[in-house]
Amino acid sequence: MKVRIRRFDGQKEWWQDYEIDAKPSDTVLDILNRIREKHDHTLAFRQSCQMGSCGSCGMVINGLPALACQTRIGELKTESIRLEPLYNYKVIKDLVVDLTDFVNKHRSVKPWMIRKNPEELEEASMEFQVTPDQNLTFVQFDYCIMCGVCLAACPTVAIDPLFLGPQALGQAYRYIADPRDEGFEERIEVLDDSHGVWRCHFAGACSYVCPKGVDPAKAIQYLKKEILKYRLLHKKKASVKPAELVQKAPPANAPKPPPFDFKIEGGE
Amino acid sequence: METLDYDVAIVGTGLAGLRTAIEILRRDKGKLGLRVAVISKIYLMRSHSVSAEGGTSAVLYPEEGDSFELMAWDTIKGSDFLADQDAVWRFVHIATQEIRLIERWGVPWNRRDDGRIEQRWFGGLSFPRATYAQDKTGFFEMRALYDTLLKYENWDRFDENFVTSIVIENNEFKGFTAIDLKTGNFRYFRAKAGVIATGGAGQLYRITSMAASSTGDGFGLAYNAGLPLKDMEFVQFHPTGLVPRGILITEAARGEGAYLVNKDGERFMKRYAPSKMELAPRDIVSRAIMKEIMEGRGVYDDKSGLYHVWLDMRHLGKERIEERLPFIREIGLKYLGIDIVNQPLPIRPTVHYNMGGIHVDIDGKVLNASGSPVKGLWAAGEAACVSIHGSNRLGSNGTNDCLVYGYIVGNDVYNYIEKERPASPNLSQNILLGEEDRIFGKILGKESGGEDVYQIKDELKDTMEKYVHVYRTGSDLEKAVIKIKELKERYKYIKLSDKSRTFNYNLEHALELGFMLDQAEVIARGALLRTESRGAHARLDYPNRDDANWLKHTIALKGAEGPLFSYIPVKITMWKPVARVY
Amino acid sequence: MDREKEEKRYKSGLLRSLWPYNFNVERYTYTLHRITGVILILYLIAHVFEIYHLALGPAAWQQTMALLGSLGIWEKIGLWIIAGSALYHGANGLRLILNEAFGILLGKPVLPEYPYTPTSLSRNQKIAIYVIVLIVEALWIWAGIYLLWGLGII
Repeated sequence: MKVRIRRFDGQKEWWQDYEIDAKPSDTVLDILNRIREKHDHTLAFRQSCQMGSCGSCGMVINGLPALACQTRIGELKTESIRLEPLYNYKVIKDLVVDLTDFVNKHRSVKPWMIRKNPEELEEASMEFQVTPDQNLTFVQFDYCIMCGVCLAACPTVAIDPLFLGPQALGQAYRYIADPRDEGFEERIEVLDDSHGVWRCHFAGACSYVCPKGVDPAKAIQYLKKEILKYRLLHKKKASVKPAELVQKAPPANAPKPPPFDFKIEGGE
Repeated sequence: METLDYDVAIVGTGLAGLRTAIEILRRDKGKLGLRVAVISKIYLMRSHSVSAEGGTSAVLYPEEGDSFELMAWDTIKGSDFLADQDAVWRFVHIATQEIRLIERWGVPWNRRDDGRIEQRWFGGLSFPRATYAQDKTGFFEMRALYDTLLKYENWDRFDENFVTSIVIENNEFKGFTAIDLKTGNFRYFRAKAGVIATGGAGQLYRITSMAASSTGDGFGLAYNAGLPLKDMEFVQFHPTGLVPRGILITEAARGEGAYLVNKDGERFMKRYAPSKMELAPRDIVSRAIMKEIMEGRGVYDDKSGLYHVWLDMRHLGKERIEERLPFIREIGLKYLGIDIVNQPLPIRPTVHYNMGGIHVDIDGKVLNASGSPVKGLWAAGEAACVSIHGSNRLGSNGTNDCLVYGYIVGNDVYNYIEKERPASPNLSQNILLGEEDRIFGKILGKESGGEDVYQIKDELKDTMEKYVHVYRTGSDLEKAVIKIKELKERYKYIKLSDKSRTFNYNLEHALELGFMLDQAEVIARGALLRTESRGAHARLDYPNRDDANWLKHTIALKGAEGPLFSYIPVKITMWKPVARVY
Repeated sequence: MDREKEEKRYKSGLLRSLWPYNFNVERYTYTLHRITGVILILYLIAHVFEIYHLALGPAAWQQTMALLGSLGIWEKIGLWIIAGSALYHGANGLRLILNEAFGILLGKPVLPEYPYTPTSLSRNQKIAIYVIVLIVEALWIWAGIYLLWGLGII
């Protein structure tokens, strides 16, 4: 198995080739670890969970951005692998890229729960009442692991460095669609901007490469619909209230632990 | 070298670290102008807490039969009576409020049809009280906490800063020294209060469910600073880890009704835990699986050379699996090409959690060798050992431990800074220059020696996997201790090939290996000295629990030749120990 | 635009963004939409410039027409390309309006199921794209035939 990696050491860039043996059930991350441990200690790449839930190992494999720990050699169907750092990011060393812009763009859309009465976020005597169907309207977009692979695939991000990117916009929609959130007006200025939602022209590449099925393209088109509805018709989604407090006595046949051997203060 | 001044520095950004940061900033609201530094050796959202899958326990429905006493009893019996019972009592009360609070912050818990939060069965529980969000509970909790932390202003994030030592002088915490991986600079975080929340140490073993970043740095840091580690020999083996990688298959699969079958197709758990069957606590199930394998009823997998048993979920039906176990189905398809709707999964015990950790008291303050608190240092989450989990942690108790102790430690740190108004610590430069020289001069710059970091790490992992596994014997443990001592000697002669300062993973792995070797020694020696079987520590030569001699916590301190052991009693305030059968 | 910052990003930039490589069909439609958009803008400017000569009197208009006539067959081919661009850009633009303002053809938010085929790139969306392309191709070829007939070639 031939592996060709794009190297960068701060001054010069070059392609380096390695020869490594690999089974079809190995992942690209296994191969990278094997290269680092046996052939070249100076190779730098990020990894953490090795099972596709942390998002550290995003890189471009044979031209498509993907997570290295989820890509098996067998499904690549080739005799040689080409690894590059993610497109549209600044490269720090080898396959490690700079995610500061990515994090800042995410933060600028205010991706947290906003309620009109901020006290409701501080106390918690009862939960909000959200039915399973309401859950479905936004939970898909909450699967985002912030790996940055979508920004590598997006053509608009390649042209415009100030574009918010599918990840930030997807997360803005996740909170706007959440029935518990009431912060649409606070976020709309950042979104309804020339570098916000309107730069996206639905290339769909972000959804195509997303490793967790978040479908940010869908989120952004829905977001455009919400913004148009708000600006033209002044209508927006309703929000839910907390559930009612239930004060019933426990049933008679409830399971009980053995009686206490000692006296405890403040026991019930 | 740069010096950075902060009020609070938090090392480790999993659930416990982020919850502590939020609690401090939430209490403050800008009054004292507290500045918090959040330090992690990887990016903030990449901590291993995102892989937690199953659920978070809490008493949410006392009107349906749940109660705080029941949860406390489940936890204490699950811990094989080694848990400190006053800490458990406090813990079960706070867990309820935590679940509801993070729901306000956006966690999409699974719901019943009327809109209230749904709960499910889990291992070792007498009431279905594990709250869950599909089967990626830890991930959604981390998302909600991270997003909420972004709301506040007075904190700075230091991603990819590797903390190399804790500076303690005269029993007072004076800061952390760290390397900025991006530039190779040596940094000193001069903080008035510090919190360690670095998580566990699964990478000591070959087959583990933990991330490549879980090397137990917090344990190593505390050990090197002369702080005691408690109960380190209790390493939890999660019974269902995928073969051959060890990826976690959540306990929720068993909670939904999966069966464990051996080579002959029988549900062997009926011989080990007749009433709870597959939902017995994890140590009992792990031991059952290993016993089946040892007695020849395990299935052989030729591709990896490992024995395993089957986890059968075919009878659950596609709809239930899609709604409640989608991530497990994805893992099966992704790594083995097996669809759990049609085929059973091959599983084997895998290292999952460290019950032991840094010795702290009930408020999370780190205690020194003589048992009194170190001024200004706390620990929370898996890195700390209070101990709530005793010798075995129940499933779904790990995430709420992090959240509850994030809340307790956050409040304690804030009270400390508000009442005592400590001044910024004063430190002599010699200590810092010495530390800088140790790393850059002695480890990075070394030209002599020929040992390879990765070679030693491989041998350590194989040693621990072979000799310090689910079932331990005295002779195996002695072999492990000797081998680890040999590896520690060889560690002094390592030579790094990568001499650059930017993103030198070679250097980071070398420092991590130093921490790992120390902990491996503490675990192996502690296991050798404890001549009983309790919870997750099972010895074939001493198969019974010995309450008369061993109802105590192990304390390990760094000595000149190796760890020095002493023992402290367990706090029993509610129930006396009884026989543990399920 | 920050030129320096732009250069330091890995494989970024205008040309790179328009090269769809082995991505999905919708990214190819994006590229075509951009290119046809640029062609139409250039045509708009040229057209306004040409029509402006009408206001300058019949002599200027005759001069402009003679200039265009001197291009010969290239003028017809140029018009043919512009016709194709307008057809494609209009049809695709209609599809995008349906997607963005009304949420049609996107699919509802669902629980992601492995292997994670996104619903916004679903079969319905691709069918719509292929139908558009088919209709546009047909009309364009018809326009080309009409052109050639007008030239007297067929």
